Amino acid sequence: MKNGMKKGKITMIITAGIACFALVLVMTMQFKIVNEADITSIENMRKSELSTELANWKTRYDEVNKQYEETTAMIEEYKNNKESNEETSNLMDSELEQINMSLGKTDVEGQGVIISIKETDNEEVEKITSDDLLVIVNALKLAGAEAISINDQRIINMSDIVYIDAASVIRVNGERILAPYTIKAIGDSSYLESSLIGNGGAIDEMKKKGQDVTIDKENNVTISKYNGDIETKYME
Amino acid sequence: MQNKKVVAIVLGVMCFALTAGICIQMRTVEGTNSTVSNDYEENNLRAEVLRYKERYDNRVKDLSDAEAELEKERESATQNDTALKEKEEEITEGNKVIGLTEVTGPGVIVTLSDSKKDASSSLDPSSLLVHDTDVLSVINELKNAGAEAISINDQRIIPTTGIICGGNIIDINGEKVGAPFEIKAIGLPEQLAALDRPGGYLELLRSYSVGATLEKSNNITIPKYTGTITYNYAKSISE
Repeated sequence: MKNGMKKGKITMIITAGIACFALVLVMTMQFKIVNEADITSIENMRKSELSTELANWKTRYDEVNKQYEETTAMIEEYKNNKESNEETSNLMDSELEQINMSLGKTDVEGQGVIISIKETDNEEVEKITSDDLLVIVNALKLAGAEAISINDQRIINMSDIVYIDAASVIRVNGERILAPYTIKAIGDSSYLESSLIGNGGAIDEMKKKGQDVTIDKENNVTISKYNGDIETKYME
Repeated sequence: MQNKKVVAIVLGVMCFALTAGICIQMRTVEGTNSTVSNDYEENNLRAEVLRYKERYDNRVKDLSDAEAELEKERESATQNDTALKEKEEEITEGNKVIGLTEVTGPGVIVTLSDSKKDASSSLDPSSLLVHDTDVLSVINELKNAGAEAISINDQRIIPTTGIICGGNIIDINGEKVGAPFEIKAIGLPEQLAALDRPGGYLELLRSYSVGATLEKSNNITIPKYTGTITYNYAKSISE
């Protein structure tokens, strides 16, 4: 009888041991899987995500391919016109035109949107902050805006939008700007508008807070060039 | 007898834990979508994506070579003329600013990482993560401190770069990058380091127990933008 009890106990201990072992094993496996699952990897994407990703890569391939063709054509032009300083100069001007546009050194025009933001008299509504403007500019860039300005301050690669506590003003490119704010952007006007006013869009969110924001599509928006000097001292 | 009961209870608890463990694991695997997908269409799509990505990568390499050649041609075409030489320098300088060439210089490296705290311990688990607005603010502050070139996880910031967050990945220049975020900036290191001042943005992030560190360096390399800059809507107005 006593022996039987002991035997039962041993069985139980062994069973418990096996259960413990299995439990630990499962846990380790799970942690490993969670760790290994790289969320940016295409291995973990579903069908709809994959389709978007494919379309995305196709567009990017086409763009880079076009750029490659243009660059090789440009190389040929330089080679063929080596002897003529005038021709070379013209070639460089055409290259510079594109670069200066990207830098924001030229006035530009095209279809786009104009956003107007006014401060409201209602004290319960939050004031417009530099972060609000930053979020709108970022949303416009995401929607493919090719040129942007706030109260005629052109947004260039080094532009900052900050709030200066001491003076309680917003500065863009180091220049003071005052309400009402007018943000102009050139790009696909319908797409720019719909991405900002759509549910969860930057303007939609501001309107939900009660702020006074309007956006208008325009066939021709003119954005003036950056007025300052673009200097670099540290990068090579 | 008493002993037996205890053992039975212990066993019961263990069995329960084991089952729970297995259930959680199954759900996790399902959630992350295993690498062994049997969906034929999905696998096909995946292969297609990889093929295009490879074609793209190859073309980017070709483009990079062509750009180097173009630079050489431009240089040799302008070497005998000072006016042309000046223009050539203007092109080189412009390309640096808009992000089309790799640049080096002194600056800072800011690293942002999601909190190590258990998400369930916080009332608002989302405050423990790095968000697109955090990255956006850090970049804005770096620009304010005079940064001349900036990259996030080696994605160069160009004039049209937008930043968007989806789940815990951030999309920059159409590339998906995950935390931790390494933000490099070239400029005067002492000035850029103002980001880490008391009451500054990095301190604010740390108060949410999000990881935020800043390191000065004398030699930072920021890669060039690998995509293309094209204008389909904006046209320059000639003066």
